[in-house]
Amino acid sequence: MPTSSKIHTAIQIDNLTKIYKPKSKQPLTAVNQLSLTIESGQVFGFLGANGAGKTTTIKMICGLIEPTDGHITLNGYAIKNRAQYMRQIGAVLEGTRNVYWRLSALENILYFGRLKGVPIREIRGRAETLLKELDLWERRDDKVRAFSRGMQQKVAIACALISDPPIILLDEPTLGLDVKAAHTVKQWIHQLAQERHKTVILTTHHLDMAQEVCQRVAIINKGKLITNQPTHELLNVFRKQFYEIRIRGDLNGIQSQFDGRMSINEDNGYIILTGEVKNTDELYQIIDLLKAHHIALVAVNPVEPKLEDIFINMIDSQEGTSS
Amino acid sequence: MITSLNITLNETRKGLIILWDYKFSLLMQLLGMGMVFTGILFFVGQGEFEQATLASSLLGFIVTFYAMETISNMSYALTAEAQAGTLEQIYMSPAPSSLIILGRSLSSLISATLQLVIIATVLLILFQINLPLRWEILPILLITLFGFIGFGYVIGGITLIFKQVGPSAEILRSMLLFINGTFLPVEYMPTWLKTFAQLLPSTQGILVMRRVALDGASLADVWADGTLVYLVAHSGLFLLLGLFIFGYCEQVARRQGTLGQY
Repeated sequence: MPTSSKIHTAIQIDNLTKIYKPKSKQPLTAVNQLSLTIESGQVFGFLGANGAGKTTTIKMICGLIEPTDGHITLNGYAIKNRAQYMRQIGAVLEGTRNVYWRLSALENILYFGRLKGVPIREIRGRAETLLKELDLWERRDDKVRAFSRGMQQKVAIACALISDPPIILLDEPTLGLDVKAAHTVKQWIHQLAQERHKTVILTTHHLDMAQEVCQRVAIINKGKLITNQPTHELLNVFRKQFYEIRIRGDLNGIQSQFDGRMSINEDNGYIILTGEVKNTDELYQIIDLLKAHHIALVAVNPVEPKLEDIFINMIDSQEGTSS
Repeated sequence: MITSLNITLNETRKGLIILWDYKFSLLMQLLGMGMVFTGILFFVGQGEFEQATLASSLLGFIVTFYAMETISNMSYALTAEAQAGTLEQIYMSPAPSSLIILGRSLSSLISATLQLVIIATVLLILFQINLPLRWEILPILLITLFGFIGFGYVIGGITLIFKQVGPSAEILRSMLLFINGTFLPVEYMPTWLKTFAQLLPSTQGILVMRRVALDGASLADVWADGTLVYLVAHSGLFLLLGLFIFGYCEQVARRQGTLGQY
């Protein structure tokens, strides 16, 4: 049974490790002593490059992959209490359809509802509400195979939500969707947390979306957690360090001095240098360098960092440290 | 509370909807199976259809058809579910997976029954086969089908780990059709082949059904001569073995992370 002290903790992960041991190959550590606490009612971004260990972690949370070590509890329930554990989650997993193509949207939702133990008398009402909310009601009797990728994804989300689970795992939910469909999914994620108080774990390569909808983000690289903090705090840390330097004319042959440090772009006849500047001294050094080469300085502004820049920065730093 | 009945009905309903969606393929499959059956009988009868063996072969064919459907359902269909991602969704149900697989098996047996009603009726009329429909056939068929469910668990378990079991499943289907006594009764087989054939899940069921339907033996008779006892033990063992192997394979698949791979 859940304990009262964990009432606000939706997901507790302690020292989670997964080592694959393929025959005739070296063991592969996909997830390495990962510990996370995810509060209920928030959208949690779980980010990482391909092969970082995101999907393995998500599947361990879903009970589909057995951890080598460590444990997970969902609202206080461990996997050994399988029925209760599974009632806590609904998931849309990456790279697959998640639903039956040969069934209609309604038939899929009813099937998964029954499978997840939704009371028979409630199931149709819930299915109708979900289909209407997702704008699929008019096409409820059409086979899913006739749907666009975005509509299929909506059906998969409806199937994950039919049992009204408190925790939703969305693994790349906008993969392959057009801009409009991705926008709808994004709005839905926001609504799920804000209006229905669901805990949403989101993995995505669309970091602008993660920045917009996630209250907290964790970044994983090579199976190890490299950061886990509220999105605004993470952005604040980097906000102090990112500058945009606008100059007129050209760089008079000093481009190489900025290689790997700052990006160089052109905008309406101006050259814009953007990147991380660690402290004020470094900023003055750059200005002195520009002055020494008779380059006209137009403006120096701190810039709002993007999660994408932070992500790349952190991954690069970690790779540099580990090598 | 998820009841076993709800799970079974849910799987059956889904299976039948999907089956209906494949109606044209199904029709072609039935036509193909009918042609294979008549073709083999034609060759076995050396260019003639022997009335004496038609009823016996049809009974064998009925049992074999169930076994072949079970193999397909637990190999190709399960692999297709892994590809579609629905297998992982099924595994995220609060219901025990063995119960869901049981539901799948029953759904497959119901759809096989519907197909058999069509194909057997056509063959009975076409060849004017005299097949006595005695009630005693039903319990024997049910006991045989329990063994098939166990066999299905074995195939399903192996599929969870290896996924690409299609060619092996095809060999198994052919083996059942030609070695289980459907066309050539096991008594005529060499000892080594007879021993092997009797280990298959359908052989004993065919043998007992023929004794009851064609020789007029009662259930008491086949119990007394030990053939029904062997069938009950054989089916029971397959069911237990199937559940054990399926549970083990499922654990391995979870450890290796192959549940959703294909």
